[in-house]
Amino acid sequence: MSLLSITDLAAGYGPLEVLHGFDLQVNQGEIVVILGANGAGKTTTMRAISGMIPRRGRIVFDGQDISSSSPDSIVRLGIAQVPQGRGTFADLTVEDNMLAGAYIRRDEVLADVERWFDVFPRLRERRSQRAGSLSGGEQQMLAIARALMSRPRLLLCDEPSLGLAPLITQELFGVLKKLNAEEGLSILLVEQNANLALKVAHRVYLLETGNVVSSGSAAELAADDSIRKAYLGS
Amino acid sequence: MMKINHGSPQHWALRTLGVALIALIIVWVPTQMSTSRIGQFSDAFVLIIAAMSLNLVLGFTGQISIGHSAFFGIGGYTAAILIKDHGWSPGYTFYAAAALAFVVGCLIALPALRIKGIYLALVTLAVAVLFPTLVKWKKLAWLTDGAKGIDSVRYDELPVWPILGELKGRDGRAVFAYWLAFVLLVVTYLVCRGLVKSRFGRSLVAIRDNETAAAVMGVNLTVTKVLVFGVSAALCALAGVLSTLRTGVITPEGQYVTLLGSIVFLLIMVVGGAGTLWGPIVGGLVYVWLDNTTRGFGSESDGVIGFLFGWSDQSPATLILGLALVIIMFVAPYGLVGLIKRLWVKVVVVVPKPAGTSLPTTGQ
Ligand SMILES: Nc1ncnc2c1ncn2[C@@H]1O[C@H](COP(=O)(O)OP(=O)(O)OP(=O)(O)O)[C@@H](O)[C@H]1O
Ligand SMILES: [Mg+2]
Repeated sequence: MSLLSITDLAAGYGPLEVLHGFDLQVNQGEIVVILGANGAGKTTTMRAISGMIPRRGRIVFDGQDISSSSPDSIVRLGIAQVPQGRGTFADLTVEDNMLAGAYIRRDEVLADVERWFDVFPRLRERRSQRAGSLSGGEQQMLAIARALMSRPRLLLCDEPSLGLAPLITQELFGVLKKLNAEEGLSILLVEQNANLALKVAHRVYLLETGNVVSSGSAAELAADDSIRKAYLGS
Repeated sequence: MMKINHGSPQHWALRTLGVALIALIIVWVPTQMSTSRIGQFSDAFVLIIAAMSLNLVLGFTGQISIGHSAFFGIGGYTAAILIKDHGWSPGYTFYAAAALAFVVGCLIALPALRIKGIYLALVTLAVAVLFPTLVKWKKLAWLTDGAKGIDSVRYDELPVWPILGELKGRDGRAVFAYWLAFVLLVVTYLVCRGLVKSRFGRSLVAIRDNETAAAVMGVNLTVTKVLVFGVSAALCALAGVLSTLRTGVITPEGQYVTLLGSIVFLLIMVVGGAGTLWGPIVGGLVYVWLDNTTRGFGSESDGVIGFLFGWSDQSPATLILGLALVIIMFVAPYGLVGLIKRLWVKVVVVVPKPAGTSLPTTGQ
């Protein structure tokens, strides 16, 4: 069943159109990866889904048309976003960042904080530290944990591996995969590293200058010669 | 350096000592000091309230406003007009002024907050500049008395408060104004503290730190910013009412009603410590102290001070504070409060509770 269904999505900034009308689906329980070069429009796609920029086309989430909804009502419906470049609240403590993530909820919030501290134990050790003083990897974990605090059904994750050491990236993707497998969390992930992307993804979309040029299962794309050349470097 | 645990007897003793010391000063001022000194403290309280209100939008939410002098003026004029023309009892004008300023604040914020940074600064700057002009406008003279302003705004008879008893004459008025300002200062502090330490307050700091991330957290940016601007305007209007009641006059060019007022609030907030609850308090006291010690520098000094400030016939407090600000930005990015905290930890460190032991089981 399709959880997120996008048809003919166009969006941009002012007069500049960046996305030129493409379709994209995320099914319940899937990890879908958007692959694309710098400037292809991956972040813009994420922003369009979460309602941060004006957009045209149809975006349906769980049967509801959200193509003209405001960001806060979209969060309430169950879509959380980890913005590119982390975007933790530097002056709030780790714990307050988590609580801010639960802004739309009031119940069992503290239990959830502990729960995500179990998943990211480094964050527990630093719970009363300013988020701005965390390392890059820790901030990325915090950004994800914070997004999960809103109890989303779909997690939008914009280049979580950006600037992280390979080991940390692996750890992070491990967590995402586990969340997907064990909790049934659907994930739409932006990633530049194709090797990594193809390992975690069920399905992949290839974005080039605002258009989807190719899509299919991870295995299909990995087998495609032209894609191997362009994105896998072999 | 001494280490004590959070919540330990020593920690409580230290806290009690601090509170007792502050209480002693609060009571000492109106009972032991001269009437003019009492007036200076009342003035400081007024400025602290205004700076606290500004701190809410600028310090905590990161939305710049140079227009708070207008809200201060709205407060002052509302009180003066209601008391003089409509025979209101002064106490009720606080509510009216706060309500009016809240509405005006929200109306200004609604379009202004869609724009950001320098543009927001310019819009609020325009508000600050327009307010005195508007008040002086001939067509509004029936309401505001034009350039000459409104005077003799005061309590006909001072209310009798418990403990204070009956207060009379000039000295009595000063003492009453002091306590009135103090009560409102406490109210303002509690409002700010309540807002800042709540879920709403977290969303304010979130907006300041990263607007995009706050929005994808489900914070409605427009509603939150407009509301906090309205509340801030209302609190600033309280300061305006207080100031008018204390001095008995309000004029379009009066103290803190013009752009200079906004600058003073801004200086107090930043020098004291933006985005901290105690910053405006420290900043306000320092400013009023500076203002009074340096008042004569321009006209009646010789030597170095006369050379430095002889050209000015005004108190150079704003200038000095402005210079101090530049220095503070380098040595104490979190203002005087930040500096005090940094020095204080060299004396006593309060060790926070170990992580994870203080969890309430329900709610936040
Ligand atoms: N706020 C903005 N205002 C104007 N143009 C923008 C804005 N953000 C992005 N763009 C433009 O839109 C295009 C797509 O940007 P986008 O951020 O979506 O790319 P991306 O695929 O996420 O790239 P990267 O991998 O580098 O993050 C770029 O050409 C960029 O210059
Ligand atoms: Mg991007």
